[in-house]
Amino acid sequence: MEDNKFTLVGIQEGASEHIAAPHYSYWKSVFKKFFSNKIAITMLIIAGLVVAMAFIHPLISGYDPAVNPYINDRWRQFLRPSLQFLFGTDNGGRDVFSAVWYGTRASLEIAVISTAITTVLGVAVGMLWGYSKKIDSFMIEVYNIVANVPFLLVVMVLVFVLGPGKWQLIFALSCTSWLSTAYFIRVQVMIIRDREYNLASRCLGTPTYKVLLHNVLPYLISVIVTSVARDVPNFISYEVFLSYVGVGMGAQEASLGYIIQTYAPYMSSAGYLFWIPVGVSALISVSLYVVGQALADASDPRTHMN
Amino acid sequence: MKKYILGRFIRSIFSILAVVCIAIILVYTLIPRDEIFKVDPNFTKLQGDSRTTYMYARWKELGYLDYQQQADMCKAYSDDYSSCMASEGDFEEVVKAYENDGYTIQTLKSGLVFAYRNYSIPELVGRFFSNLIVIDNPSAVQDSDNPDLERSYYIESGPNGIPALKCSGCQYQYQLYVNGSFPFIHQNVIKLNFGISFPTHSGVNTLEVINRGQDKTKSEEITFPNGSTGNSPINLYTCQYKATSTLDHLDESHFDDNYANCAYNYTAPSMTTLSYMFGILSLIIAYAIALPAGVMMARKKDKWQDKLGMVYINFMIAVPSLAFIYFAKQIGLMFGLPDKFPQYGFSDIRSYILPVIILALMSTASVMIWIRRYMIDQSNADYVKFARAKGLNEKEIFNKHILKNAIIPIVNGIPSSIILCISGSVITESVFAIPGMGKMLPDSINAYNNNMVITLTFIFTALSIFSLLLGDILMTIVDPRIQLSSKGDSR
Repeated sequence: MEDNKFTLVGIQEGASEHIAAPHYSYWKSVFKKFFSNKIAITMLIIAGLVVAMAFIHPLISGYDPAVNPYINDRWRQFLRPSLQFLFGTDNGGRDVFSAVWYGTRASLEIAVISTAITTVLGVAVGMLWGYSKKIDSFMIEVYNIVANVPFLLVVMVLVFVLGPGKWQLIFALSCTSWLSTAYFIRVQVMIIRDREYNLASRCLGTPTYKVLLHNVLPYLISVIVTSVARDVPNFISYEVFLSYVGVGMGAQEASLGYIIQTYAPYMSSAGYLFWIPVGVSALISVSLYVVGQALADASDPRTHMN
Repeated sequence: MKKYILGRFIRSIFSILAVVCIAIILVYTLIPRDEIFKVDPNFTKLQGDSRTTYMYARWKELGYLDYQQQADMCKAYSDDYSSCMASEGDFEEVVKAYENDGYTIQTLKSGLVFAYRNYSIPELVGRFFSNLIVIDNPSAVQDSDNPDLERSYYIESGPNGIPALKCSGCQYQYQLYVNGSFPFIHQNVIKLNFGISFPTHSGVNTLEVINRGQDKTKSEEITFPNGSTGNSPINLYTCQYKATSTLDHLDESHFDDNYANCAYNYTAPSMTTLSYMFGILSLIIAYAIALPAGVMMARKKDKWQDKLGMVYINFMIAVPSLAFIYFAKQIGLMFGLPDKFPQYGFSDIRSYILPVIILALMSTASVMIWIRRYMIDQSNADYVKFARAKGLNEKEIFNKHILKNAIIPIVNGIPSSIILCISGSVITESVFAIPGMGKMLPDSINAYNNNMVITLTFIFTALSIFSLLLGDILMTIVDPRIQLSSKGDSR
């Protein structure tokens, strides 16, 4: 131990400010985690292809369910799937390939718009509901009355009353399902609203909206993603079913459910007419569901540790 | 606890009333009332005045409006009936009187007038609920042709020899009786009245439509009240009073009193029974499959059994139910099962297999996912570690210790699975064309059978609300530690 082996260093102001922690970015970690899941990537590609086809193909084909120029062309009826008609043709000589993508777009639009309304309304109300005791005591009574009623029944009665159509269906789906999203969010907010950092924020006089937006909302991202991941395939499923029993979409917006309903009588004589739209509807909801689940898993910060 | 259940009960009743109220308001105000004639076969045959009077008579029957023909108007207000009918004398005053009451007067092509008044929303709801519960009593029957009708209750043995409470002067002859069919003790005292079904099953009470038997009538050798015997499908327990003026020769040959308006026995069960049968059978099968599967998944966590189960669960949740049903149906067709219920009919067991299995499989996923979750949560508890330390084997720990604790939330879920059965049955019954309540809902919507829609809304809502309540009560019975009424403050 000799003094000459050491040199004196001055105090480095910067070093004391530096916190020794690995660099962490939330969204980067989310995508890293998501793209490490091979099944999720495959499903994302499938979902992407289906969505792209649904939104691009109707623009190219110019398909319109209300107009059928081939109604008198007997040779075009009930052609099996071939290179010319990838999904074959139906009883009116229409190209099923165009019809299916047109219908997929209508179904996707309904599912996405309903999910957006449900999520925005549900999260906004749910956060206030969970945070404020006064709103809670009122809303919980409303929830107890409404939540026990079978969802499908309310949607069917609403669509029956409002008449068939895209916006009617969106209204019926979103005005019945936002309450359960709000309740789901309420429970999550109640869990985290009394954590120490929120108490500290309140003591320091942070306004309620800032506590909600900056302290509570970031915590809810994975919960919200989970709820969205569940809603989109559910709404597609509901649309298909409602149109199938004849209380959903009319002929104007020939959605997937409507196509399945009109082609159901040909199930035994021309099976491809029925099974292709059914298969497409299953493909969309399965791929979106798997992608959503993987994204929900990835957006949970607890999974980022390993 | 009692206070809590009473509170829940009152709230449940309130929710049912609120939902039905909203349904009535929506259905009666938003659906154009001309729509109900869209699929009515009688309507298209009528022309001119008879069409107009038919429309208004139906609307009155369905509770849309009050409708008075000129004859009714003259009878009610005029002193000189015949001159009023000829639009003379005090006719003007009669019309004035009706106009003052808020009626609209219209003239038919024949020159006769009629008055109608649309019911306001409070009136619509009020009329519905005031007619909802009908209590039978000895002064219920009003028959001017039979002034000496005795009005009293008495006990007499029924057709099967068991004593029954009978009534003279009531609408129903048998007020309280016991027989071999479920639920064994039957009553005719309190009846719910949801109005009549129209245009499908026209003119029949909606509850009767879904509760009466289907298919062919079933004749049996019976002894009629006046002692004669014969082969007849009549169900003597359901006999109602028939006005003396409408009694015919056939009635007189069988009955010694006015209770001759009887329902029939049928070979096939009613819509309600059929739906319940499917629901309960499928629920039993669903739990028989899902419970062992969920336990297995929890025991072999992260092994291939668990992964396979998760794939199955995700598949069931993600695939649209319609696609799944058709997929399962296609597999069933390979085994020679029918693709539609009416193909083999009620009596053939093959008609039931496929729908029951599909309904059961559709509710397995949620039960499996929950039982797995609960069992895994429990498997880290202290009592499990203690059981392991005692040297019990894994099988014993899972089946005797964990399952008993994990089953509690599942017990809570059993009644609410009935709700899943309801929505599941709407889909399954529509696809298989099973004549049950589930198929009746879309059918009545497509036929604009408004009263039927309201009736089914009431039944489904009531069923689901009370099954949730039952689930909570069942949970406290299984686990006495659980208290439904919360103590203390939780902010």
